[in-house]
Amino acid sequence: MTDDKSLPSGFEQFADLAARWARPTEGERSQIRWAASKQDFADFYAAFMPKLDEALALLADQSLEGLSGPTANLFELVCAFAEATPHHELYGGSAEVPFSFSARRFVPAHRDRPSASPVLR
Amino acid sequence: MNAEDPTLSHIGRSIAEIRAELGVDPVSVEAIRDPAVYELEREKIFRRAWLKVATAWEIPEIGDYKVKEMPVADTSVLIVRGKDDKIRAFHNVCTHRGNKVVPNGDFESFGRSRAGVVTCRFHGWVFGTDGPLRSVPMEEGFGKIDKSCLGLREIACDTWEGFVFINFADPPEQSLLDYLGDFAKLFGGYPYAESTTIFRYSTVLECNWKVAHQAFSEGYHVPTIHAGSLPGFRGVEHSDFKLMGPHASSTIYGAGMDTAASTAAFAGVLHGAEPHRPRPDQLPPGINPTRRTDFQFELPNLFPNLIIHLSAGCGYPGMSFFTHQFWPLDHGRTLWEGINYFRPARNAAERVAQLHVNALHRNAWLEDTATMEDTFTGIRSGAIDQMYLMDQEFLIRHAVRVHDDFLAA
Ligand code: FES
Ligand SMILES: [Fe+2]
Repeated sequence: MTDDKSLPSGFEQFADLAARWARPTEGERSQIRWAASKQDFADFYAAFMPKLDEALALLADQSLEGLSGPTANLFELVCAFAEATPHHELYGGSAEVPFSFSARRFVPAHRDRPSASPVLR
Repeated sequence: MNAEDPTLSHIGRSIAEIRAELGVDPVSVEAIRDPAVYELEREKIFRRAWLKVATAWEIPEIGDYKVKEMPVADTSVLIVRGKDDKIRAFHNVCTHRGNKVVPNGDFESFGRSRAGVVTCRFHGWVFGTDGPLRSVPMEEGFGKIDKSCLGLREIACDTWEGFVFINFADPPEQSLLDYLGDFAKLFGGYPYAESTTIFRYSTVLECNWKVAHQAFSEGYHVPTIHAGSLPGFRGVEHSDFKLMGPHASSTIYGAGMDTAASTAAFAGVLHGAEPHRPRPDQLPPGINPTRRTDFQFELPNLFPNLIIHLSAGCGYPGMSFFTHQFWPLDHGRTLWEGINYFRPARNAAERVAQLHVNALHRNAWLEDTATMEDTFTGIRSGAIDQMYLMDQEFLIRHAVRVHDDFLAA
């Protein structure tokens, strides 16, 4: 994890969101999501949803292996967004999935780094 | 690919036929409640049936291995790809004094032996990845030792469509292919091995393994339990009921649901991509034989503890298939493993779209697992002696029957 969360040109206005949400691993992103409020999800959604298609178009030109610097930061931000949107769109701003098992008891056993082997070694 | 395989036409059943065959009476919950049944299950099911323990693409290179803890059989299993490229399974038990040859701190772990050997850390006995005991430090100090009899203890192991199965019986009563029977024909031919990108979750549930298994074996719960994650779900249809010896299956068709705006954007990335788009044409011919466009996935129960939801990108966007397994740790404790399989993302946009779909499905699994410990508590209370099963719960009815047959054998 790097403290420099600078983003590609055209996405500079999301620097604060990136500092808050962009993290390379599912585990780190989950910690942030579990601590988020209804307002946090709403703000993230309102700010970034209008730019989602543009971000996806940019990422479509990026191979997973070569991700670094501002593009990697944008990738991490969109990863966090991809996991956060259901909380705004489906769960009424709740950080927990309503009426669910504790997400903290679900252990992800896959690699977070997209460039790595899908299998934990 | 549109014609149904004539050799499988006998497995398709209507609701009237499964009712006639399996009955409509309530089913006892005693096998879930009674700890003594679990001891029988260990002996008569888990030491006799073929059990999926790995996929070939988890251990793709020579020397790759997986260690899987299997408390249900009181053992740790080493699944390894030998120098001859053959996948074998062994008790992960050193023949010197019984230490684990490959130590591991979790239910599953992976490693690679570049030299084609594994070495016990206790006293340094060295075994080939194909089993034989290769060397013993200070061998002369044993006085008398026949290394040729002291290889790793092998477990029957075979592969179907890249899924690696083991059988603790020595020898197994049936070959893997005979055990799978018509299931292998029905599900064979799909390019499973292309879907090497996995998202795997596991959790230990304080419930009997059959409670967890049964909860994932039916679609009756979808409109209620998944009201949060699958909003506006317009009905689920189970049809094309299939009974195949100890295995059974049915098809889930669905009339769709409301798609959230972000999901539409992420789904668009996958639906527009050749490796990830819906591929009903790749489904084996006996599955969704009329190529209905509302096909979601095939929901089979591969006895005793494997479910392979084959969707070919038709259900959750980009999802090739997903599996569940239910490993008893004890009468009232279960290791659940859920794995989502995708084809590899070619770029960062496809990857993040897969993350979104994975998150949606993980969230739905969180809704599923919420019921299991409560259900087990309820059954243990003694308040009910039976469960009432409707048509969409026929996989449960069938599995209960097969379970009882195995125990009676
Ligand atoms: S127990 Fe393995 S070398 Fe002694
Ligand atoms: Fe479910």
